[in-house]
Amino acid sequence: MLDPADVNRILSTALERGGDYADVFCERRLATSFRLQSGQIHESGLSVTQGVGIRVIVGESAGYAYSDDLSFEALQRAARIASLIARGNSQERSVRVRDTGVTPYYDASRTAHADSAAYVKLLERAQIAAREFDPRVSAVNATVTDELQDVWIGTSDGRWLHDHRPLISLGVQVVCSRNGDRAQGFVGDGGRTSIAFYETRTPESIALEAARIAASNVEAVPAPAGEMEMVVGSGGGGVLLHEAVGHGLESDFNRQGVSLYSGRIGERVASDLVTIYDDGNLEGERGSISIDDEGNPGAHKVLVENGVLRGYMQDHLNGTLMGVGSTGSGRRQSFRVMPQPRMCNTYMPNGDSAVEEIIASTKRGIYAKSFSGGQVEISRGDFVFMVAEGYLIENGKVTAPVKNATIVGNGPEVMTKVVAVGNDSRLANRHYTCGKGGQYVPVGVGMPTVKISSVTVGGSNVG
Amino acid sequence: MSVEITPDNAVDYAQAAVDAALASGASQAEATLSIADRFSAEARDKAVTKLEQSTGRSLHVRVFVDGRKAALATSDFDRGHLKDAIAAAVAQARHVASDPYTVLPEMNGAPRNADGLSLFASDVANRDAQSKIDEALQIERRMREIDPRITNSNGSHVGDSVSTIALVNSNGFAGSYRSTRVHRSGSPVALDGEAKRTGSYGSASRSLGEMESANAVAEKAVRRTVELFGARKPATMRVPVIFERDVAASVLSDLFAALSASNVSVGNSWLAGRTGEKIGSDIVTIDDDGTLPGLLGTSPFDGEGVPTQRTAVFERGILKTFLYDTYYALKLGARSTGNSTGGGVGPNNFYLHAGDRSLDELIAGTQRGVLVLDTIGFATEHASGTYSRGARGFYIENGEIAYPIEEFTIAGSFPEMLGGIDAVADDLRFDGGVVSPSFRVREMTISGD
Repeated sequence: MLDPADVNRILSTALERGGDYADVFCERRLATSFRLQSGQIHESGLSVTQGVGIRVIVGESAGYAYSDDLSFEALQRAARIASLIARGNSQERSVRVRDTGVTPYYDASRTAHADSAAYVKLLERAQIAAREFDPRVSAVNATVTDELQDVWIGTSDGRWLHDHRPLISLGVQVVCSRNGDRAQGFVGDGGRTSIAFYETRTPESIALEAARIAASNVEAVPAPAGEMEMVVGSGGGGVLLHEAVGHGLESDFNRQGVSLYSGRIGERVASDLVTIYDDGNLEGERGSISIDDEGNPGAHKVLVENGVLRGYMQDHLNGTLMGVGSTGSGRRQSFRVMPQPRMCNTYMPNGDSAVEEIIASTKRGIYAKSFSGGQVEISRGDFVFMVAEGYLIENGKVTAPVKNATIVGNGPEVMTKVVAVGNDSRLANRHYTCGKGGQYVPVGVGMPTVKISSVTVGGSNVG
Repeated sequence: MSVEITPDNAVDYAQAAVDAALASGASQAEATLSIADRFSAEARDKAVTKLEQSTGRSLHVRVFVDGRKAALATSDFDRGHLKDAIAAAVAQARHVASDPYTVLPEMNGAPRNADGLSLFASDVANRDAQSKIDEALQIERRMREIDPRITNSNGSHVGDSVSTIALVNSNGFAGSYRSTRVHRSGSPVALDGEAKRTGSYGSASRSLGEMESANAVAEKAVRRTVELFGARKPATMRVPVIFERDVAASVLSDLFAALSASNVSVGNSWLAGRTGEKIGSDIVTIDDDGTLPGLLGTSPFDGEGVPTQRTAVFERGILKTFLYDTYYALKLGARSTGNSTGGGVGPNNFYLHAGDRSLDELIAGTQRGVLVLDTIGFATEHASGTYSRGARGFYIENGEIAYPIEEFTIAGSFPEMLGGIDAVADDLRFDGGVVSPSFRVREMTISGD
């Protein structure tokens, strides 16, 4: 969308007061969405996010300005504002960017949205399937969002890159009612793919999964309160890794010495059963990126290996200051904000326990099959999770569904309490979005069935 | 080609978007143009670590085609592109079900202007960048002076924005207003032996004159960070719980969701069908008021041009009304309360009326209980009204703060919480759209060891 010759001049302007590095991030993102509510297509939306962000880095400081006016004059103005972070004298800096290839981890050929009727059809099929599943289904809401993002990145070290990122998501919420009690189930799936994804992962299969969870939750008993064992379900349980460990390994917190994992590479931080990867290059996954938002390839990163901390997730600024370089983890929500070190797809590979053995070995505990959300405090690693689908385990058997369970704990402590890792690792349904510093980016999570010897469950049922 | 868009021609530009929608076949249309000059400085220790300054523009267009609606949000101001995008929105609307309530609000009289609302403060608009940078450095310096355990920080921020909103619709509404917002925050990191803690405090206002000083922000940020050193995990118990005002405000945010007609209409609210009922205790009086001068939740009109108003939501514990935009008001047989966000229902200044005792007096009047300073996590179950959060705070014994506690959850239900409020403090402060004084709930479940 920008002429590389103009990008050269803009980058030169950005560095005219000094500065170690500058980049230009140009974005054009088209999104379309439809929502079904109260039995009919209730609303539709489309959005165009277009603009350019210009950043200048000096040591550990950064100046930033963006513009939704793409004229050369407006971008030169933004470059001058970004340059104010540097205090040097005016000097001529010559930058020449060259086309730099990108290895794609998703199909970059789709450049247009499908017909509106095709999206509407997905929502209607989901609704019919959910309603037919169980007479207690009292409401179905469903949303489909399809997004095409093009980014062009120019850097003062001479790269000019383009990435084309598709992202589709279908989410179905089912509400079940019984004797005045209501409970919900939500399932979403999609990824960096197209509407063709739903030919095999049908809207019916997504809706039925949501309806099954809602029907289970409406029968649920109040969650118990207090300390107990926890079995975390495969796939969706990966939110635990994301919150309890992942955020603490983002390099900004570590370079600044804020994270409890700061300066601990090579040390034991978890039970030796624990290995955690973050991977930006899994084909079609929601958190995958062919290149990050600073133009570096989305790599496979070993974060924890057999309980030992191996590395952090680095963006350009922090990776440069820490002397290790970027790991392709610099991501941003849009051209309006600077990139931060972020996760892509975070998961734990297989262990060697059978799921049945893990359940059978649990005397009294909670079986958290999936979480609806979580949050972590970085300096201590204290976290909280809300269980979306949970059951009691009593004497080695899965018994009643439980509702409204909140799990609180401490990330590093929980990771030392991992006593069994299943052989059923898989990535979760693709609908997770991670928030940090007000910026939201799509991510993936995954995990095998894992047993933790004790956590605190916050329910209302004391004793 | 793109045009120069300024606060002065914003209404004209929004009008042009409405005209384009009608020309594309829309039966009604509405356009909202926002222009914001934003500045933000971040400092860590003695260095300025981030400087950001930009003018951002966005245009939101809602097109209505005989009760079918689509919304467009764009930052592409090229005339040709905009025309195409609006036409695409109109085409997309044809796939939406027709709904008799999907209309623009009827307009009676001239649009309300912002005179007397004190939304724009020239002390913010005219401030030079260097004084903001100096202030961010000052918060960093002050935090370290207050307590030697503050050895690091997540960054202190000082920033502001100067915004113009212009709204035009095809029912003849055309209005605009300008506003300012300034904020200061500090996020210290404290080290005591091996123990590390982070905390933060931020404050915001429409004007510099109304702002908490940089030193006050630094002091509160430090207190929040160091006061929990040595925290223990409490026992599992049922005791009175005092919600300190910022946490109290987050409880009110959850309550707002259950009062929003968009949730009530689909049954996703524990309050559905309960207007006129006594839900809260006698000291629970809650208003939504978009007319209070100088506050962050104040505006002359809401997201679809309806004048804002004062709405009594709970009066002495009795639920008086839900909060509506035009669509849900028509659907549920009510009048809009001026709570449209231009696509949903949102708060203006939504607050619990203050009591006359200080927070210290509330603590002194609590034999055994918990003071909650901070919660993490978020509830999703507005339908059932259940409440569950991870929390940190203090254990109270014999009317005094005994020791800090953490790694526990508080759980209960909204009916139980509102009905159980037995004391409200006098510390209400309007530093956001949803605010509350501290209050005490008679009994809740604490889950710890």
